[in-house]
Amino acid sequence: MPAFDPAALRRTVLRMAYSGQTVHIGCAFSIIELVAVLYRSHMRLGSGPDDPTRDYLVLSKGHGVMAQYAALHELGWLTDQDIDGYFRDGTRLKGLSDAHVPGLEVSSGSLGHGLSVGVGLALAAHRRGTNQQVYAIVGDGEANEGSIWEAILFAAQFRLSNLTVIIDANGFQAMGTTREVMDLGRIADKLASFGLVIEEVDGHDEAALGAALTRLRAHPSDAPRGLVAHTVKGHGVSFTAGDNRWHYTRLTADTFARGMAELSAPAGGPTHA
Amino acid sequence: MRDAFSNALVTAARTDPRVVLLTGDHGYALFDDLRRECPDKYLNCGVAEQNMVGVAAGLAKAGFLPIVYGLSAFVPVRVLEQIKMDVCYEQLPVVFAGDGAGVVYSSLGTSHQSTEDVAALRAVPEMTILSPADAAEMTACMAVALAGDGPVYLRMGKADLGVVHSAPPVLVRGRPLLVKPGNGPLALMATGSMVGTAMSVSSRWPGTAVYSVPYLKPIDEVAVADICRRHRAVVTLEEHSVYGGLGGAVAEIAAAHAPTWVGRVGIDDRFSKYCGSYSYLTREHRIDADSVVAKIAAFLDRARLTATLAAA
Repeated sequence: MPAFDPAALRRTVLRMAYSGQTVHIGCAFSIIELVAVLYRSHMRLGSGPDDPTRDYLVLSKGHGVMAQYAALHELGWLTDQDIDGYFRDGTRLKGLSDAHVPGLEVSSGSLGHGLSVGVGLALAAHRRGTNQQVYAIVGDGEANEGSIWEAILFAAQFRLSNLTVIIDANGFQAMGTTREVMDLGRIADKLASFGLVIEEVDGHDEAALGAALTRLRAHPSDAPRGLVAHTVKGHGVSFTAGDNRWHYTRLTADTFARGMAELSAPAGGPTHA
Repeated sequence: MRDAFSNALVTAARTDPRVVLLTGDHGYALFDDLRRECPDKYLNCGVAEQNMVGVAAGLAKAGFLPIVYGLSAFVPVRVLEQIKMDVCYEQLPVVFAGDGAGVVYSSLGTSHQSTEDVAALRAVPEMTILSPADAAEMTACMAVALAGDGPVYLRMGKADLGVVHSAPPVLVRGRPLLVKPGNGPLALMATGSMVGTAMSVSSRWPGTAVYSVPYLKPIDEVAVADICRRHRAVVTLEEHSVYGGLGGAVAEIAAAHAPTWVGRVGIDDRFSKYCGSYSYLTREHRIDADSVVAKIAAFLDRARLTATLAAA
């Protein structure tokens, strides 16, 4: 099983972002530990992306897709050419989650879609009694969309205990902080009021994430699960952490080299800044 | 026609384990049989159409064959983006049944009227659009939709304006159905509720051929071009905007393959002004039989075909 080392995943994200001269680095960095923990120790991956019995990771906030690409690359579901040829003419990996890529479940980017598709996948598994889990990562900015709350209402009504709604609460959306743009208030309280079983953790603490996911899985309730992961947009590299410009900024040779150097430092170094 | 829909649905639900019906809290009495016979196949998704379409996509990805029911004013128009991204982009087998198409909900006003649904969906790749004219066509269309080959929009006009077919017609993908042969200069091509009107007005011009067009997309370009070549003029009739529906499709094909006069009868580019019965609204929009006769006559004048037709 691959290690899904967060620093290595972030280096893959930087490689993609630099070679493709693309954006959304901050969106990917905030969910790296989440993606790492899910793929490493919580999801049953079966025989590969086409295995209909595997668990699902639905990236509803499609802007963070480079984090998932990095994990799929570790799994061997994507190749080095996919990573280093990012955004070349005629290649298959796009800037937002796209279900035509094996291993990606939904086509996102237009926000507020993926969670509903995840709810449908969870409902299908629930009705068939397959015990498949659906983990859906939703951005806190994405939670502006009314369809997110439609989906949560539905999941609670239909008792989809195999669905875990994970909020990447990085406190930013495209044009500013969530507090400035559209304040969600206490997101965990909101989810709880919709009937979800809630855990709330530091989304960069892998041990805490793993423990929370384990507790949610073991919980006896038949309600859907909600995990609020408090994260830092751009986490993992000193100059991208907490700076919303990395929603839009492209890497230069200099920033790429500095970011890669930080991420290559020994554990306990700047990686966990 | 709604009985034909319900019967086909219940039969499919009984025999096909993939079938499941999703409704956005709509369909009063329509699903009584389904709920009695297969209660687990009926999912009321609440008044939340966006999520309903996403859920249908997820179910379809996992191997189900969902039928999403709504008023055509809401499904597909309110959820066009979900249909595009979640369903069509992935070529998933989801059937969208849009009820009350056109101005059926005459007294409820613009929110419940639907004259732009076909135009909106025609530009979405992978979508099949079916518009049955009567119960027999509905049965045939349901067989196509429930084959589960990909996304289908079933446009249901509630108003049955007479029976067109005595038995279920054989549908060939994209092909118009000849319902009244004629070798005269004029052909009428109608869809849904307007097929009955086309039949009733066609006798004004002897030799006029009438086609019913249940397949609005795909539409067989060769077959339509052939109709255009065999007549001096074609008039399309639909309870939908004159933009982007059957008339638009026929005009596009004629312009590219078989230039001929194409007259488009439908809802002009405006909303309903007043409240009233269905028959009042068809008069307000001038798609009732008398208005259609006048519109066709004016069109034939413009095309300088009146004398030709009189001589036919």
